[in-house]
Formats: sequence, C-alpha cells, structure tokens
Amino acid sequence: MDIDISGARIFFELPIDLPLLGPLRISETLLVSWLVILVVTGLCMWLTHDLKTENISKRQAVAEMLVEMANNFVVGNMGEKFRYFVPFVAGLFATSVVSNLIGLLGLRSPTADLATEFAWAVVVFIMITAQKIKVGGVGGYLLDFTKPIPILAPFNVLSELATPIGMAFRHFGNILSGVVINALLYAALAVASSALLGMLPGVLGDVLAQIPILDVGVPAITSVYFDWVSGVLQAFIFCMLTVMFIANAAAEE
Amino acid sequence: MQVQELVSFVPWTFIAQICNLFIQVYLIKRFLFKPVNAMLEKRKAMADAEIQDAAKAKDDAQAMKAEYEQNMRDAKDKANEILSTAQKTAAAQSEEMIREAAQQAAAIKSKAESDIAREKVKAVNEIKDEIGSMAMEIAGKAIGRELHEEDHAKLINEFIANVGEGS
Repeated sequence: MDIDISGARIFFELPIDLPLLGPLRISETLLVSWLVILVVTGLCMWLTHDLKTENISKRQAVAEMLVEMANNFVVGNMGEKFRYFVPFVAGLFATSVVSNLIGLLGLRSPTADLATEFAWAVVVFIMITAQKIKVGGVGGYLLDFTKPIPILAPFNVLSELATPIGMAFRHFGNILSGVVINALLYAALAVASSALLGMLPGVLGDVLAQIPILDVGVPAITSVYFDWVSGVLQAFIFCMLTVMFIANAAAEE
Repeated sequence: MQVQELVSFVPWTFIAQICNLFIQVYLIKRFLFKPVNAMLEKRKAMADAEIQDAAKAKDDAQAMKAEYEQNMRDAKDKANEILSTAQKTAAAQSEEMIREAAQQAAAIKSKAESDIAREKVKAVNEIKDEIGSMAMEIAGKAIGRELHEEDHAKLINEFIANVGEGS
C-alpha cells in the first residue's frame, strides 16, 4: 500500500511569472487562508452585532471576554504602552488557531505550509528589529551585536536570525507532524482492519476487508492531541514569543 | 493535479500570507475590537454618570439634612426665646402687680391714717368745744353770773389746752 503525503494542492496557475518569485499559483493553502479570514471575520461580526451596555447576551459576554483576554495578554506581558499591539496579536492568534483547527474539517491547514509561518515570523522579526532600532537607534542596534565581546558578532547575528526561523519551524513542524501522523495512522488502521476482516471466510471477508472500519473512532483519540491541543498550543506559543521578543526588544537599555 | 513539496517555500504564498495577516488584523480590529471597545467605553460613561448622580443625590440629601437640622435648631432657639420672654414678662408683670398692690395698700393705709388723724382732731375739737361750754356753764353757775363766751374764750382755750396736755 502506498501512502502519499504531499504538500498543498495547486488548483490553478495564473499567467504571471516573475523572476525570483516564480509562477503565481493558487494553492490550497491560499484558498483555505481566505476561508479562515472569512470564518474569523464572520465570527467577529456575529459576536459583536447588537451590542448592549446592560443586560448582555451570552454572545456578547463571549465577545467581551475575548477582548478582555487579548487586552490582558498583551498589556500584561508588554505593558500599557503596547496597547495598540492588541489587534495584531489577536489577529495572529485567531488566524493561527483557526488555520490549525480547520484541518479537522478535512481541509488542509494553511499552517501546514511553511510559507505561512515564515510570513508571520518575518513580520514579527521586522517588528522586533524596528523596536530595537527605535530604542537604540541604528548604531545602537548594530553595536548590540558586538556585545559582550566583538568576536561574538557572527554568533549574535546567527542567533538574531534564528529567532524568526525558529518560530516559523516550530509552528510548522508541530502542525505538519500532526498531518503526517494522522495520514500514517489512517493508512495503518486501514491496513490493520483489512487484515483483520480479511480473515473472515469467503466473499464476506473480501468485501468487508475493503472497508477500513478501524479508521472510525481511533484517530479521534490521537486527534485530541495532534489537532486540538497542538493547534491551540502552537498558536499560543507563537503569540507568546511574539509578545515577549517585542517587549524585550523595547525594554533593552 | 499538481502538488507542492511537503516542505517547500513558495514566495507567492509567502507574500500573500503577509497580506492576509494584515487584512485579518484590520478586520479583527474593525469588527471585534472597535465595537466592543466602543461599547465598553459607553458602559463606563454610563457607570460614571450613575456614580455622579448618586454623589449628587447624596450631596442633596446631606444639604437637606443640614437645612432640616438648622431649622430644628432655629425652632428650638425660638421656642426657648419665646419661653424666656414669656417668663420675663410674667415676672415683670407680677412684680408690677405686687408693687402696685403695695402702693395701693400704702395709699389706703396713709389715707386711713390721715382720716383717723383728722377724725381724732375733729373729735378732740368737738370735745374741746363741749368741755369749754360745759366749763363756762359750770363756771357761770359757780360765780353766779354768766360768763361772756367771747370775752373769755382765750382763757377757756388755755385751760382746755392744759387739760388736753394733761389727759
């Protein structure tokens, strides 16, 4: 039995082919990403329509709780002066969580594509660098690499670059591993159930062996970790790191 | 259908995802944070207004209480004043009455005294006259001739005065 675990499907190719960027292909990643945006935005609109100041509905209570949680998370970790950062972190978290969990619907998670996490990590990296330059100026930022001793400069540059790469690959690896393990598990359980039911005599065994009966139920258990826990956890870790790195960059000196 | 490599980096996807992230941030800001924060702001304003109202009501109540207490105090003072005035007036009146009574009594007494004195003088004079004429009669009888009343009035009077002083 062959197991094919591949990347995102490419649905169609637009006649744009730039050097360096390559042909513009609309992949599953992009389509599902747009779906995620629609889902998150729709959810926000649904949560916040018909807001009242008193006698609030459960729906509004959830909306207020989410806003409070985002405020507490960002302001608690970064301080009051970063309050303007709340929507960014909230957007990042919402996109990440919904992207991770949308895999449960049988769609391919956009976060199972390295380009997605890399895009986020690069944005965060630019923000970290901007904060550092804002605090110490360009000279101070560059001089920072020569501390504590100038000979360590190459390693400091490496560690600086390792930040976005580490963030991107951490998230990507966790989600992709869920995808891979799920695929392997489904395939393995299909093989196991066909072997088990194939032991039945005659035509009955031949027919039943075609039905991967063990695929029902068992993957749901592993999915609790690989999709639910991992999905929420990785989104949280990514946002936590974003918040921490930017706050640290602003706090230097 | 074409597929990407499992671990691959597609520049277009990378760029698109950066845009998607910022679109998502804008949308979440516009559709979640803006309305909720506006609502929270409104609620806070309402709560503030309520608190201010309560504070104002409390102030009013306190002012009313102070006014009421002041009124009570005033009333009490006034009552005390009226009472003391009444007491003073009563005391003055009774004093006046006593004094008048005493004056009247004194007047009556002095009048009575003067009356008595006058009556006494009158009685003495009458008696004097009576005694004078009696004495003249007796004397006339005694010396045998009639004494001339006018002529001997002086003598008689002297006699009577001696008698009066002797009595």
